[in-house]
Amino acid sequence: MPTVSTVNLTAPLLLLLWVTHPTMATNWLSLARLPRSRPVSGAAPCARLRGLTPGQVGVCRARGEVMESVRKAAEMVIEECQHQFRNRRWNCSTTPRGINVFGRVMNQGTREAAFVHALSSAAVAVAVTRACTRGELERCGCDRKVRGVSPEGFQWSGCSDNLSYGVAFSQTFVDEPERAKGLSAGRPLMNLHNNEAGRKAILHNMQVECKCHGVSGSCELRTCWKVMPPFRRVGVVLKERFDGATEVRLTRIGSRTALLPRDPQVKPPAARDLVYLAPSPDFCHLDPDNGIPGTAGRRCNGTSRLAPDGCELVCCGPGYRAGRAEVVQRCSCKFSWCCSVRCQQCKNTVTIHTCRV
Amino acid sequence: MAGAIIENMSTKKLVIVGVILLLFQAFAFMVGGLIAPSPKIAVHYLATKCVDTAKHRQETKWFMPWGPNQCDKIRSFDEATAKKIEANNIVFAVHIPLPNKQMSPWFQFMLVILQFDIAFKVYNQIEDGAMVTIDVGLAYRDDTVSEWTEMAHSFEQRKLSCNFTTAKTFENEGRYYECDLLPFMEVGSIAHKYYLLNIRLPVNERKKVNVGIGEIKDIRLVGIHQNVGFTKVWFAMKTFLTPSILIIMIWYWRRITLMSRPPVLLEKVIFALGISMTFINIPVEWFSFGFNWTWMPLFGDIRQGIFYSMLLSFWIIFCGEHLMETEFFEAEFMGGGQLQLLCVPIFKIFPECPTKKSQDQMERNRFSVYWKQVGPVIFGSFCLFIFDMYERGVQLTNPFYSIWASDVGTELAMAFIIVAGICACLYFLFLCFMVFQVFRNISGKRSSLPAMSKARHLHYEGLIFRFKFLMLVTLTCAAMTVIFFIISQVNEGHWHWGEHTVQVNSAFFTGIYGMWNLYVFAIMFLYAPSHERYGDEQSSGQCITGDAGANSGEDI
Repeated sequence: MPTVSTVNLTAPLLLLLWVTHPTMATNWLSLARLPRSRPVSGAAPCARLRGLTPGQVGVCRARGEVMESVRKAAEMVIEECQHQFRNRRWNCSTTPRGINVFGRVMNQGTREAAFVHALSSAAVAVAVTRACTRGELERCGCDRKVRGVSPEGFQWSGCSDNLSYGVAFSQTFVDEPERAKGLSAGRPLMNLHNNEAGRKAILHNMQVECKCHGVSGSCELRTCWKVMPPFRRVGVVLKERFDGATEVRLTRIGSRTALLPRDPQVKPPAARDLVYLAPSPDFCHLDPDNGIPGTAGRRCNGTSRLAPDGCELVCCGPGYRAGRAEVVQRCSCKFSWCCSVRCQQCKNTVTIHTCRV
Repeated sequence: MAGAIIENMSTKKLVIVGVILLLFQAFAFMVGGLIAPSPKIAVHYLATKCVDTAKHRQETKWFMPWGPNQCDKIRSFDEATAKKIEANNIVFAVHIPLPNKQMSPWFQFMLVILQFDIAFKVYNQIEDGAMVTIDVGLAYRDDTVSEWTEMAHSFEQRKLSCNFTTAKTFENEGRYYECDLLPFMEVGSIAHKYYLLNIRLPVNERKKVNVGIGEIKDIRLVGIHQNVGFTKVWFAMKTFLTPSILIIMIWYWRRITLMSRPPVLLEKVIFALGISMTFINIPVEWFSFGFNWTWMPLFGDIRQGIFYSMLLSFWIIFCGEHLMETEFFEAEFMGGGQLQLLCVPIFKIFPECPTKKSQDQMERNRFSVYWKQVGPVIFGSFCLFIFDMYERGVQLTNPFYSIWASDVGTELAMAFIIVAGICACLYFLFLCFMVFQVFRNISGKRSSLPAMSKARHLHYEGLIFRFKFLMLVTLTCAAMTVIFFIISQVNEGHWHWGEHTVQVNSAFFTGIYGMWNLYVFAIMFLYAPSHERYGDEQSSGQCITGDAGANSGEDI
């Protein structure tokens, strides 16, 4: 008798867990949707941010000034993801509203979800490091240094390691939902691995630059430093890892669980590789339950067959059709090194190719 | 017998002196490696984009990137395009110590390097030979509330040399160019606590100012200065070494003046070497705490240059003075029954008996004999001095000046450096040739040594020994300098050994500085004239007049 009632109770509980469980990790990306004027730091605003898990709200309260960088990181993730995937069937499209920015397609542990997790943890590290370098944050990088206490530490040997602070904050903030769920389930382990892969993509692509400044400018004295790569470069590196991602599954080794390759002949993934649990669906057809918009109506390049954004590659079975439209475009623009651009308006008749339904 | 102290030292004493000096040398290395931190540090700054909304720039307004009076910021240039802000209204603001930190005179100097983050856009590419015109102002203040005081303001031009590694297509828009570092600013002394840089890139299409420089996304600065800990260790070393070298110099000169004869060229050169070493050691840098002397780096370069010139001249004069000419021996055997006045080469060093022959050889005692060898040293140093004076000299008034910014400046600078390099090669050729000559003479002498009288035998042995000793010590020091220089260039800068960190770069600086001090100390101590007297059975061999060997050794 008791067993029947527990079975009746656990089934909906499990369903509830399964529904809420996988999407919570990247809900913080919804910070990008808030209007700029809305504050994200302070005790009360932190609690009202719907996309954050309770642990993340705690981080928000403790280190409020960093949350503005987290918002910037969310914007960077969406922009970079849409740039890297602009020629693929799934083009990182965002939902019109809600806290789940990329939609239900993130629910399954696919390659695309792996990429988004890695990119978001890298974005938080980059955005926080940049804020430190601009002097926007009060406490940065010099809290734990050689020779003890921070002010003395700075005075004896100087301090310039903002990247460690950014990476540490990314670990604290982005990894928090996964750790809260425990490390015995497949999806949290996959997310943790991919988050670390994103941070490693930054650390492995640092460039070293040096300056000679000795007597009469000779190289008697040479100072070298490491430069963080631009975020576009991080996106390119993670896209390459996306293409070479390893399919894994949860295996029990003794008392621990780990993610090992599904194909035993493939070598275990390194820390910098991306891993995924489930194969990607066919993104061709509209499937609202799984958050797949399909390729219908996508613009594609009909002129060149070999271009990455060519219609053969982007559109699926039904193919594509061409249409002519008259557009008003900007032409003969005068560019400056930034900001306002003065252009003329030209009317052009162009051929637009779109994928068929 | 007269000679240098080294010739009259027993091997045991020499070994003891050597061991003591080696201990000090090891101590110098350890002070740098274990106590001092890395010598220089590079701090990154990312410029904040402020908006200057004033219609006309009546007075200089200083834009602060953070803090209570921050400027109106824009986060990216897309925001500027949306708000219709012009490029001429953008001010990049950088506050040099990051928040909650202060600059101090312990940093000694500040070198700032500029890097542009330029994105590739097909319709807005960087043109060939593009020059960036930068309108930069530098201000300071000593507390967090007062007004900013302007320190320097300049319109600078820098050449952009960037290249784009992937294909220049629409696909790759948004990627960044790889640009070279641009030298930006050098300040020779840090007298204030807070510094602010405001950078503008004014656009003037008619005059082609800042046109065709691509799409700039960010400006990054790297500030290099000396670590406080390293400065403290360095000052301590200098303060300790100055009295040590002064004491040995005073002792040396007393020994020279106590001799009844005037000092010879070599002794004067050794004394001059001591003076130049003292000149480097004097810790004038302590004055950087009370005074704002921006010429300190230039002064340091001049001191080092004087010491190197003195050292190179000393080597070549030492070799030249130890050349033992064969004509002396012909004089010996020509005499027949009567012993001629034998002026052995020792006379060059300690002229006792002026005779016709020795007068010829005494001319070698003059500095002007060495014009061919010392000339390249002087000329090369002079070229480097002019070059350094030009760059650092102008930087005293305009910290943003760089000789490498213009084409004319670059060519002039390269010309000076190449001439100095040629002079260095000439000098080393002369030096090698002279060393070769001395060794050839030594091997020639060795065969005729047993035939000489005992006194002359000992003299020659003494000469040969002290020449070889100096050669060995100098070669060891030079080899160590080169090896450690290479290690410090190739290495990352610090080694981890268990739980200790050894700073290789600091060890290099303190170790090599200590080594050359010990070298000068050892030379002054070991090559000071000896006042020891030989016993009566050995003739002094200095001035053998007539038949009897005169004992002209002096009392100690």
